[in-house]
Amino acid sequence: MKKIINHIFIGTLCVVGLASCHKLEVPITSELTPAVFPQNPTQFASVAGAPYAAFRGPFSLDYWFLQELTTDEAILPARGGNWFDPGNGYNNLHYHNWTQDNGWINSAWSSLSRVVGSTNQALDILKTTMPEGDSKKSTLAELKTLRALTYFMFMDLYGSVEIDTSSTDFTPHANVPRTTVFNFIETEIKSALPYLAPVSGNLYYGRVNKYTAYALLAKMYLNAEYYTGTARYNECIAACDSVINSGLYAVEPRSSYLQMFYPNNGPQMKEFIFAVPNDPSATPYPGTNGMMYHARYDLNRNLGIRYSYSGSTAGSNVDPVMNQTTGGGLVNSKPSGPESTLPEFYAYFKADANDIRGKQWLRGPQYWPDGTPIMVKASTKGGTSGYDATYQGADAGQSYTYPLYIYDTLTFRTDPNSGANPSVFDLGNDEIAWNMGIRNIKFYPDNTNATNRNQNNDVPVFRYSDIILMKAEAELRGGTTTQGQDPLTLVNMIRSNRTTSPAWTSVALEDLYQERCREFTWETWHRNDMIRFGKFENAYGFKTDVDPKHRVFPIPASALGLNPNLKQAYY
Amino acid sequence: MCYHAFKRMCLALLCVVAVTVALRAQDQKEIKGIVSGPDGQPLAGVSVFIKGKSVGATSNDKGAFSLKAGANDVLIFSSANAETQEIAVGNKNVITISLKQKVADLGDVVVVGYGKNSRKTLVTTVTSLKPEDLNKGAITDVGQLLQGKVPGLNITASGDPNKPAAVTLRGASTINSPGGPFYVIDGIPGADISTIAPDDIASIDVLKDAAATAIYGNRASNGVIMVTTKRAKKGAAQVTYGGYVGAEKVSSQLHVMNADQLRSFVATNNQSLSTNDDKGANTNWLKELERPTAISTNHNIGLSQGSDHGSFNASLNYVKKQGIIQNSDLTRVIARLGVEQYTLNDKLRLGLNVTNSYSNGNDVPYLGVMLQQAAKYLPVSPVKNPDGTYFEDFSLTNYYNPVAMMNNSQMNNKINNLIGSATAHAILPFGLTYDLVLSYQNSSTLHGEYYNSYFTNNYNNLYNNPDPGAVGKTQQVFGKNGQAVRSSYQNTSKVLETFVTWNRKFGNHSVNAVLGYSWQDNINNDGFQVNTFNFPVDNVAYNNFALSAPYAYATPRISFGPDGLYQQTRLISDFFRVNYNYKEKYMLQGSVRRDGSSVFGTNNQWGYFPSIGGAWRISQENFMKNQHLINDLKLRASYGETGNALGFNAYTSQYFSGVLGTFYYNGVQTSAYGPTQAANPDLKWEKTAMANIGLDFSLLKNLVNVSLDVYNKNTTNMIFAYKVDPILVPSGTITANGGSINNKGIELTLNATPVRKRNFTWNTSLNLAHNVNKITSLNNPNFAPIDSIPVADPEGAGQTGIFLQALKAGYPIGQFYTWQYAGKDGNNMSQFIDRNGKTTLNPALADRAYLGNAQPKLLIGWSNNFKYKNFDLNVFFRGVLGNKIFDATRADLFRPGTATTANILADAKGEALTDMSYKYSTRFIENGSYVRLDNATLGYNFKLQTPYIKSLRVYASGNNLLVITKYKGIDPEITQGGIAPGVDYNNFYPKTRTFLMGVNVAF
Repeated sequence: MKKIINHIFIGTLCVVGLASCHKLEVPITSELTPAVFPQNPTQFASVAGAPYAAFRGPFSLDYWFLQELTTDEAILPARGGNWFDPGNGYNNLHYHNWTQDNGWINSAWSSLSRVVGSTNQALDILKTTMPEGDSKKSTLAELKTLRALTYFMFMDLYGSVEIDTSSTDFTPHANVPRTTVFNFIETEIKSALPYLAPVSGNLYYGRVNKYTAYALLAKMYLNAEYYTGTARYNECIAACDSVINSGLYAVEPRSSYLQMFYPNNGPQMKEFIFAVPNDPSATPYPGTNGMMYHARYDLNRNLGIRYSYSGSTAGSNVDPVMNQTTGGGLVNSKPSGPESTLPEFYAYFKADANDIRGKQWLRGPQYWPDGTPIMVKASTKGGTSGYDATYQGADAGQSYTYPLYIYDTLTFRTDPNSGANPSVFDLGNDEIAWNMGIRNIKFYPDNTNATNRNQNNDVPVFRYSDIILMKAEAELRGGTTTQGQDPLTLVNMIRSNRTTSPAWTSVALEDLYQERCREFTWETWHRNDMIRFGKFENAYGFKTDVDPKHRVFPIPASALGLNPNLKQAYY
Repeated sequence: MCYHAFKRMCLALLCVVAVTVALRAQDQKEIKGIVSGPDGQPLAGVSVFIKGKSVGATSNDKGAFSLKAGANDVLIFSSANAETQEIAVGNKNVITISLKQKVADLGDVVVVGYGKNSRKTLVTTVTSLKPEDLNKGAITDVGQLLQGKVPGLNITASGDPNKPAAVTLRGASTINSPGGPFYVIDGIPGADISTIAPDDIASIDVLKDAAATAIYGNRASNGVIMVTTKRAKKGAAQVTYGGYVGAEKVSSQLHVMNADQLRSFVATNNQSLSTNDDKGANTNWLKELERPTAISTNHNIGLSQGSDHGSFNASLNYVKKQGIIQNSDLTRVIARLGVEQYTLNDKLRLGLNVTNSYSNGNDVPYLGVMLQQAAKYLPVSPVKNPDGTYFEDFSLTNYYNPVAMMNNSQMNNKINNLIGSATAHAILPFGLTYDLVLSYQNSSTLHGEYYNSYFTNNYNNLYNNPDPGAVGKTQQVFGKNGQAVRSSYQNTSKVLETFVTWNRKFGNHSVNAVLGYSWQDNINNDGFQVNTFNFPVDNVAYNNFALSAPYAYATPRISFGPDGLYQQTRLISDFFRVNYNYKEKYMLQGSVRRDGSSVFGTNNQWGYFPSIGGAWRISQENFMKNQHLINDLKLRASYGETGNALGFNAYTSQYFSGVLGTFYYNGVQTSAYGPTQAANPDLKWEKTAMANIGLDFSLLKNLVNVSLDVYNKNTTNMIFAYKVDPILVPSGTITANGGSINNKGIELTLNATPVRKRNFTWNTSLNLAHNVNKITSLNNPNFAPIDSIPVADPEGAGQTGIFLQALKAGYPIGQFYTWQYAGKDGNNMSQFIDRNGKTTLNPALADRAYLGNAQPKLLIGWSNNFKYKNFDLNVFFRGVLGNKIFDATRADLFRPGTATTANILADAKGEALTDMSYKYSTRFIENGSYVRLDNATLGYNFKLQTPYIKSLRVYASGNNLLVITKYKGIDPEITQGGIAPGVDYNNFYPKTRTFLMGVNVAF
């Protein structure tokens, strides 16, 4: 009908003689339209870079909190109401009693959604703009693998998620079962593999190469039994072998293990297969945080000067007493410092004093580099925010200088004055409370950045040592030993580069679990490991929950609000 | 062509000079005569001229005239109040003629899109205004000319002369930047209304129902206003002059405490003012910003001449208007020239029109902040210290001397508007005519702002204070040592419109059909902006950017204004309309416009906008012939669909790339690029469908004329930014269609002449309009449902994020959403009602409720015209009834607790010190009803016995003479446009009263 009216119109207008011009298109000369951008390799690379900028967004923040604060590896308790954040529910992450309204569960979902969305956009743009050829094939394969990795993270956290692969279809999709997501990821990686770059080094640092894909496959297959009910350990071993046989990677020696995570790490790290490169000068992808500031959470607040945290300086008039008001030039840009590990997790490090990995913790008495104790001057000896809120002595109102000591044990305490309350996950607001909890400085505070708390430390997603330990675990779990590398050989390959203690003579699954705890602390893998080893339902810290449905998070409320076709699958 | 026009103009000037030269008369004889009016009395001021010649005369107060004419000449008699009549001279030497009463409105011709229509056979709803109907006063804005004159047109103007009035027709049709009507000036669609001097307007026709507006398709949702400018009349040459001088005085302003009141208030609360502030002064800060009297002057000169084969008219308008706030003023010059020439044996008429308007306006930047500071600055401090420097107390946060702010900053806008058009009108065989209109518009703005070193070094990081809407306050960062902003943008528009009209009568059947095509190309914001800072001296202001040294500091360096301003759009349309009538008794009209616009998504660029209407003139039926009460009775009904294509960026439907953070690439952090905006190929126009039923009747020989209209208007596919799953669109929002809004209303116009005597007549005109607005949905099935959209966040201290209104389905635009005030408790503390109906001192966010709305129930305009001998008096009242105003201004000045650091209203003296009496609640929702004596004008028409001057009129006029209201703020006329109507915030701009004296002369 419309067409007929159309014809009548145009037919009649021919009589008028001016029907010829019905072209609406206007040239857009002021914007980067698809017609003018991208057009050359530099521009193609910048388009392919957007998903990486988005990927960096949640990795050291939302994603990290969900993967670590739910385990025995890390805890973020309140201190006199500070850091008691009902919206984000750090306590709920620890207790496993979160709801679909939890802030971090919400923001991790939306951040990962944004990575998928931006990857879909980049893929659609590059599909139509890049000239055919190897470069196009490898770029598209690279982005598809990055999207597969994002879906892996999605699937690991939430189980059932929606799958969207188009940037132009705005139909809200329903979430699909975890097995379907698993199969989608596997198919995507396999279709990309032939085109991925089999190289490492500067140009591919921070980008997905062939061995990132194999590492991801290995991770998928190692967990396949848990994700899908079907064990695929031999396929895990084959994927690990592909990485091992590339010859591009090696285990970092004991002498430089800690430096692997320092602010100046980078493409030279021979264990890094895929890492998230952080830089204080980086601009975040819109809508994401995109910063890496572990020291803000991890460093004890009295250690700002000791670790040159975010512009902390001893000044010209060095008087090594913290918190005093008279030390001229003393600047302590206090880290917030609420986060620590649990004593039961630290126990895995306690046995072997020779293990270099034990050096990533801060516990007990603290010293200046020259060995003198770090003295801290509390404004009062007693009182809510003094040294010890419970102290009732006559000198409670006097200032008090004490040697800094970090306590292993976390104790919830009651202090009506500060609002501290055990039921709200609170340690109290005095110096003792703030000094509770073993701190982690694996991602060493960035002493090169004096202007903000954003750190320069790159964070690995896949490391070569993970490949070695995954292969060992797959073999222990029933896979077939290949290339003469049995589990013990593989584990000792790592241990010989971490400790001077004697090599192991046998290895059981539990040994391997503990080795993984030591090796990958703070690297976002511990929740995955705990679930695979059946330890996620154990009682640890203050948590007693045993419900296995908490192995995945609920689909968050904000996502359910935005996509009417999403349905809670596990809650 | 230009040369031609120039020549004609010179000729016209010669004519003026030669007007006294005796008329050469070969074969001519002296004709004498008397003209009388319909009542038989002699009629003065009737112009008598010879058809086709520029020879004429005017009747004197005895109705007598004389001129020389030949036997073959035809005399034309015309007067404002009588029907024009022609008489052939023949062998007559004395002509006595009685002119007929001009048939009121119903006989007039109405300008509709692409043609004219007689009001008798009109099926649509059109309100027509003649120049004498328009508002009088020192008005430079067309919106204000129409205020209160058209039922259904809700116009609100603040006291600020540089703020155009907000215009809404028949209720807001969208929440997407509800805009004003679409203007068509002399057939040029979308012409800038500010290019027209009020003196040049010949008529304004407001097209209201969709059957009238649908011919303008996707731009017509907010109604269409057709403006026709004055043309030369056939016959005599004419020179006119009009001018006035006006004086404005503040009529009403905020009543904050004076120094004595504040000192005693503070003392009774056992507090004291800091000696840093209390310097023994008594400063009225608002007054310090104002001029005692603001003067306006206006001059308008018009030249015109018409003949049978061509005409020209030219005019020059100059207006200078001071704002009541110091440092603000407007100077505007408008020049117009129109030439028409017949050719090809008068079968083809060619026209050329050029209008250029140039305005130069000085303004005060951050006026909202300045007025707010003036309200709260302590009256005990002086404007200046004894040493002549400005008094400041920077120990108080967000506390700036408003006079220093005003005098250390400046802002200027120079706007040039050019409209040129060429027209052709051809008479073809078979009753066909052909019209072609080519037009070109160019509007350029040169903007400058300068904040001198005092300003930038003292007021850095101040928060701006925008009008309430979706965006809140933002912090302003200035560079050191003076900051300048300069921008230059121009908009151009090229339009081609062409149509064929077929007008035929077959016995009792008349048909009028129009078929046309329209093409328009617009380029908006073609230009640039630069901000720079660090000037060695302040004197050069924004006039020499080369003197700035912005790179001396790391930040903020140079910036270039907003991104994405440049936009090009194209609109192409085909349209068709047919009107049919049988014996002028049964009328039918149908129209359709096929509109295409480049702003829409590729899937939805073209749309059809149909309309249909019918009318029945019952008075023409035989059964009505035998009664004499009703002399005209017409029933009308219409339905039509229109669209809205405005309120969003021209490229909204397409995707662009922009910087999306940085990523590590080959050793360096590199900018990542990707879509910053999602493409929406389905984006389409907002559709507004309107049904209208109307009744027009005239009683007692047109002594009483009544029009009644009832309408129902539904907008669907409302455009706004939906939240969307970032997995689909990473930016998280997409501009799409969805949501709907409804307006229902009734309008009444009544014109009557209660008294019509020889020496005294009284003409009265009343219009009433009632509209009910309701958002019916905010949802699009594809995207997440929207519960409500909060708007209007005045951000009073401690109340950031407490929005006053919510857009929500089931409620109108302007729905207040706030706490319910429950009076004071025994301790003089404010109580509020919580969600369980109990009183509380500390209400939670969830205790807020939907309470009251800003839209009026009734709009009234009542104008009266009295004539006594040579005097005429026009008295115009305007009223708005049944609306509520949220007086956030009052709330924020109701803080006794901080009276030592910020002044408060005198009314707040009874409040307890620790009470949160300022909390936004129904306590500050007030009745906004008012009736205003908007204008009274007294004129005197001289009866001159001189051939040099045809008419002379002097008048005196007063505006805003009286307001009857219970509203406690400055003035209840708070804007009712936009998405957050009826919020009194930043509206400290003083209201003024104007008196002016003027003269109109015609030679």
